[in-house]
Amino acid sequence: MSCAGLNPMPQARAFRRSPDEVMRLARMGCSHPTRLSFLRQLLRRMQAEGWRFDRPVWEMDAKGVGRAVYRAIGPARTYSLVAFAHDLPPEARSDRVIATAWDATFALFDGTPGAADLDRLAANVPLQEAGRVSRRELSLSRANRSVRLFDHVVERLAAGAQPDAAMLLETGYLMRTTAVYGAGKFGAADRAVIGARPEMRAPFQAEMLSVWLTRAFTVDLVDHLARAKGGARAARLAPALKRGLGVGNSTGLGMAPFLIRHPVLLNNWMLAREEALARVRAQTRVGAAERAGFRSALETARENAALWTSAHDIQRAKLADLRDSLDRIAAHVAQGWDRNAAHPWDDLWRWGQETLPLEGQEALLAAMLEPHGALIDGLGDCMDADEDTQFPINGAMKLGELRSILQAHYAWALGIDYTARAQCARFWYVSEDKLEPRLGARHDEPGAERELPLDTGRQAAALWQALQGQPDDLPVAHLLLAHPEHRPAVRRAQITARHPFAEIRDNLIAAEMLPIDILRCKLAFFGATRFDPRSDRWVRISLFQDAPYPEDLNGGGHEA
Amino acid sequence: MKHDPRTDTALDLSLSEISALAARAARGAGRTWGEAEEAAAAACWLARAGMDWAGALLAVLDSTAGDTECALRAGIALADAAALSDAVTPARRRLDCPGFMLPFAARMAERTGQRITLDWAGTRVVLAPGAAPRVEGPVSIVGRAEVTIQPDTGGRTPCPDWPQTHRGAVSARHYARLMQFMMAFTVPTSASSQAGAGAQEDDND
Repeated sequence: MSCAGLNPMPQARAFRRSPDEVMRLARMGCSHPTRLSFLRQLLRRMQAEGWRFDRPVWEMDAKGVGRAVYRAIGPARTYSLVAFAHDLPPEARSDRVIATAWDATFALFDGTPGAADLDRLAANVPLQEAGRVSRRELSLSRANRSVRLFDHVVERLAAGAQPDAAMLLETGYLMRTTAVYGAGKFGAADRAVIGARPEMRAPFQAEMLSVWLTRAFTVDLVDHLARAKGGARAARLAPALKRGLGVGNSTGLGMAPFLIRHPVLLNNWMLAREEALARVRAQTRVGAAERAGFRSALETARENAALWTSAHDIQRAKLADLRDSLDRIAAHVAQGWDRNAAHPWDDLWRWGQETLPLEGQEALLAAMLEPHGALIDGLGDCMDADEDTQFPINGAMKLGELRSILQAHYAWALGIDYTARAQCARFWYVSEDKLEPRLGARHDEPGAERELPLDTGRQAAALWQALQGQPDDLPVAHLLLAHPEHRPAVRRAQITARHPFAEIRDNLIAAEMLPIDILRCKLAFFGATRFDPRSDRWVRISLFQDAPYPEDLNGGGHEA
Repeated sequence: MKHDPRTDTALDLSLSEISALAARAARGAGRTWGEAEEAAAAACWLARAGMDWAGALLAVLDSTAGDTECALRAGIALADAAALSDAVTPARRRLDCPGFMLPFAARMAERTGQRITLDWAGTRVVLAPGAAPRVEGPVSIVGRAEVTIQPDTGGRTPCPDWPQTHRGAVSARHYARLMQFMMAFTVPTSASSQAGAGAQEDDND
């Protein structure tokens, strides 16, 4: 973590969970969004800094085809979402990455776009991967309508009525993004271009801003279509209903390898969250405001859990665990919790660890962080990473030290027999058609010889074997001259020694490995809710539900 | 080694695109993953320095040189060994595509905190910790040359700051060849993978 030296609460160290406990997929797959999640950080900053928002362009015909520009104007810089709305036939609507047309396409522009910029973007953004954006763009994305709800809302508003509240709650969004590309993809600006800007320093701020402005666009679009259809009698979507709408997102395997390929970043996300939990557990009293805030967070979590549905068996079991856990937490907080204990929050946490399933424990974590903004929000500044400085291998490290690192951080990997079918059943690869990461069945499908190096456990175990019989005082540089194939494992081990939360401590090629566990962890850090797996490898989620809209923040005064 | 836009149409790539393309192309060309990751980092360094990263990478991937003359392998060994000594030991060695050695020598400069010069065939490149390279003379990327690596003791001319831009140009011809290498390492998506990813589902809901 980049600001470890500034840690104002060294006493929290004693309350930290170990990486062996935290970095397991079963637990990562129960992650909940917290106030450190990236969309929460974005909303807090925009509110605190008094950002202004406007919509300088709205050129939309009666069918909802056209373009719009939404601006977010901060104290130092302006960012603009450029939106293109299209007339998409139902047979062309697909959320998969293989799609070639969408209901709407977007780019986040760095500044205020001029007419030439808009024309350039109009020629490229609707094509998405087949087009090309430039260093002036920070993200490229697209969204499809949630057709049934979208049409219902337009119909009702056009008739001067409000849509059915239950239907809105059930789906939760008018459109869902099917990809949000940032950080240099398809010609966009690299992360390094914006990483030093205070408002972009936290991870994925450009992408979150793009999605948040997309949410405003989806509501404006239904209002526009209702007016075009119903004329003067059309109603506008009521603020209370509008607030409950987010932006959906459909996402798959493509984002899973990110957490494995960015170990320092993963460490910093995890460490910030774990430090936040440790700080709360280290508190010696429960303040009245914190107690009220915690109870409110629990109540919100229970309401959310009641509305959160999934058709997937694994997720349904988790949701049952979650609802039951939240009931038990509420009962314990009302009756059993000793708030006079030396460390009352730690007392509560330990109770949760002993009595709740993983799903409930991680929900408790999120609720415990919620009322402690003053204590933990600064940790959001530590969640970015300078990965380039961590890249070089230390060739002077002695093999004895490398061996100790493997023993300390890779014990989970060293005892596995990777020749057993179930332990090497999968392989990660890059697909020929979309150049996207995919997961293959090693024993049934061709291509394993072109495997991506995401078999982290197997590589660590192979390195461990290669070290057998080697002298302790031999430098790593000498080993790598003779055995260059161990280079990725050496690099990861050295990174993990410095960043103990860098590595997912599970076999990522095992038959029982669930990619959705990786996705849930990453999406929780984004701030996603309503995690709804559709298989073991793709999910739908919602972003920004119940968050303020641009016009709310323009006026100020809303809790983000 | 500067890019010559007259040769054919140049594409402007972000560093993340260069990194992904270079790593996958190197792997597709049969290099180990460790070498591929290093090749990607080196390609980005060359691109930031305004050098012909793609031409240099292709020269390395096409090279038939053995371990000792391969600029990528020699560069990796040089950077790995940098921490073994506080001092930069002068060395002279024969390399294929010596320009590709520069990013690794820069890492040695970073690690030891010393300025380093590389001389070959009328070219001198000065590398200082934290700075962009200072190039004197033409940088040839093709062919083999005797390269001298030594501490820069006499020079006082400062090296330039890194430019603010984070892009790299690539000619259409080089891009096509790198893509060809990259495609050699991709796998056709299987039917079961597509089904698991939801390809059979209707999204009109």
